[in-house]
This record gives sequence, C-alpha cells and structure tokens, in this order.
Amino acid sequence: MKWRCALTQRWLPAYLDGDPPSFWRERLRSHLARCPACREELAELAEVVRRVKSTAVPEPEPRFWQNFNQELHLKLAQSVPAPPPSRVFKLPYLLGAPALALLLIWVAVGYLNPERSVLAPTPQMAKQERAIQERAAEKMVAKPRVTAPSPETTGVVAFVAQNGEEMSPDDDLTGLRGDLDSTLAGMTEQEKEAFLKRLRQHEKDGSCLRKISVIFWA
Amino acid sequence: MTDPQLVARAQEGDLPAFEELVKKYQREIYGLAYRLVLDAEEAKDLTQQAFMQAFVHIKGFRQQAQFRTWLFRIAINQCYNYLKNKKKFGDPVDADNFVLVGKDSPEEDLIAQDERRRLYAALTRLPAKQRAVITLKLEQGLSYEEISRVLGGTAGAARVNYCQAIKTLKKYLKNEDEHEVAVRSYPKMVTRVSRR
Ligand SMILES: [Zn+2]
Repeated sequence: MKWRCALTQRWLPAYLDGDPPSFWRERLRSHLARCPACREELAELAEVVRRVKSTAVPEPEPRFWQNFNQELHLKLAQSVPAPPPSRVFKLPYLLGAPALALLLIWVAVGYLNPERSVLAPTPQMAKQERAIQERAAEKMVAKPRVTAPSPETTGVVAFVAQNGEEMSPDDDLTGLRGDLDSTLAGMTEQEKEAFLKRLRQHEKDGSCLRKISVIFWA
Repeated sequence: MTDPQLVARAQEGDLPAFEELVKKYQREIYGLAYRLVLDAEEAKDLTQQAFMQAFVHIKGFRQQAQFRTWLFRIAINQCYNYLKNKKKFGDPVDADNFVLVGKDSPEEDLIAQDERRRLYAALTRLPAKQRAVITLKLEQGLSYEEISRVLGGTAGAARVNYCQAIKTLKKYLKNEDEHEVAVRSYPKMVTRVSRR
C-alpha cells in the first residue's frame, strides 16, 4: 500500500460520516478520485456502517417497558433523597440532645436544692470567685502573710463597716483564712460580733466558707 | 416541558418530572447498554441503575451541560464497571444469546438473523470503548464533540477512535463472514449426501 493510501484510509470512516479533519477533506476527495483501491476500501467501510445501522437493537415487547417503569418507580421512590445533612449544621444538631439534657439536669438540681440560691452566677460573682482564687494563690506563695496581720485586715474592718466598695466581703473573709484568731484578737467586741454575724450569714448561704466557720465554731 | 425545565424540577426532588425524563431516554439508554454488554436482561438492569444514579446525582448536574450526554456518560460508566467485573470473574460475553433475542419477530427472515448474529459476534470481539464509540456515533447520532463529552478526551481523539473502531469491526466481520461460509457449505454437502 502506498503511503498516501495508508494516510487516506486512516480517515475514511470519518470521510463517510461527512466529518473528516478539515485539513484532510479536499485531499481525501482528490485521492479517492484517482485511486481505485481506496474507493474499494471506502465501499467496504460503507457496508460495515450499513450493517451496524440496519441491525438495530431488537425492540423489547411493550410489557418489557411496563415492568421496567414499574420496577424503576419503586427503586426511585425508595431512593428519594432526604435533604442532605449539611455539614455545617450536623455537629450542633448532634450535640443538641446532650446539651438539652445537661441544661435540664442543671435546672432541676438548682430547683431541688433551694439552699443553693445561686442558680446563675452573676458576672460580678464570677469575678469575685476568680479574685478569691487569685488571692489564695498569692498567699500560698507569699508565706509570711499567713501569720502576720496583713493589709487585708483593714479590709475586714472596711467590710464590717459595710463600706467595701473595692474589696468584696468574700475577699476579706477568705483572706483571713489562715489567721482568724489573731484577727479576732485585734478587734473590739462590737467588731467581733459583726464579723461573726457575717460569718454565720455566709454559712447559711452555703458559701465557700462553710468549712472554715464549722472549724471556727468547733 | 423541555429537558432543562424537567431537570430543574427533578433537582428539587420532583419524581414525576424525573420519570418523564426516564421515559424520554430509556430506549436510547437501553440500546446503548445492550450494545455494550450484549445481553438483554443485563442491559435492562444497567439502564435502571443508570437512571437511579442520575436521580441520586441530579443536584450536581449543571444546566449548561446536555442532560442526554450526561445520562449517556453515567450509563457507559455503569456498563464499563459491569464488564470489568464480568471479565474479572471470567464470564465472557456470549454472542449466541443474540440469536434468541431476534426470534421475537418470527417473520424476520433467516438471512437477517444470520447477519445480526455475525455482527454481534464481531462486536463482541471489539474492546468496550470501541463498541461505545460506534454506538454513540451510528445509533445515537452524536457528533465527535458530543462523544468526547461522554467518553472523555478531545473531539479529535473521538474521531480517531471511531475510525479505528470501524476498521477493526470491518476486519472482524470479514472473519465472521468467512467462517459462516465455511460452516454453511459443510451442512449443505451433508444434506445432499443424505438425500441420495
Ligand atoms: Zn489510495
């Protein structure tokens, strides 16, 4: 086979189809006009195409399509997609139930335990607690303060005089945890009484000083 | 209703709208699957599977694309997977099945039946991708551009594949025809002998 015939025959099926590469369109036509071998090849390829087109896929009976559509309908109805769970909302959704349960438990405990008057600590109280913890930590480090009368002692006085704007009551009482005796020793009878009254009040409130006051009264 | 309208409804979960699309394209998809797997029952299953896949993924279908070619692509992938598994489990396609299918129409003459059987025998020997490109071109009437959208690659590659596929099919058909001539001449001789 000549090289030109080989190149031509490569594109003959597309030429038959009327859609060969545009570069080849004219070249194929002119070669076919003068080459009997390529014309014969073209005729044989046309016969192959005719056979494929004429041998259609056998059309199934009408019953086939009835069954087909019924079966498919059932399958499709089963697979009707539920709204796809959005990844953004999936996590909060899953956490919702435990979160609700926790909330209910928390509220129930609050109501069943009326001694705990603090259902929802106010921001101020939270701040006070933090301050208590910080101060306690300071005291652990600064040991001398445990025994020596400290600047906080004046705070107690301020508190007893109901004048503690800066220093909160809890701060003062907690600050005295280590040296109650020495503090009381330095007080007048009136101051002692007010101080102890305040401690008792705290004990009623179930505050963090319960243990201290128990020890004290003992 | 037009395809884009039906697709838009189906994308919102409208099953009747999708089933209208099914009825519109089921014959084409079935024909394509039939040519690829060469088995009527399997072609039916694969056609159903293709539509189910389409329904599940229809939300991801972009309206700029053609629904028909998108459906063809899904169906062809289903068929490829089926053929891959079949090959893996050593179950070759049997060209003799096709003769039985042709018996649906008793008036179909014997010559046509023979021709069908030889064509399918030749098609069976083609790689699945060449069967796909021939079917898409000659039966579904797709352009090379559309074929490339179904099978992947470029329009130029689709044209090359098609040309190659037809030339290979011609070679296999010639083999089948020669084989047929040899088989036919033998029983004729036997009948002649027995009549004497
Ligand atoms: Zn030539």
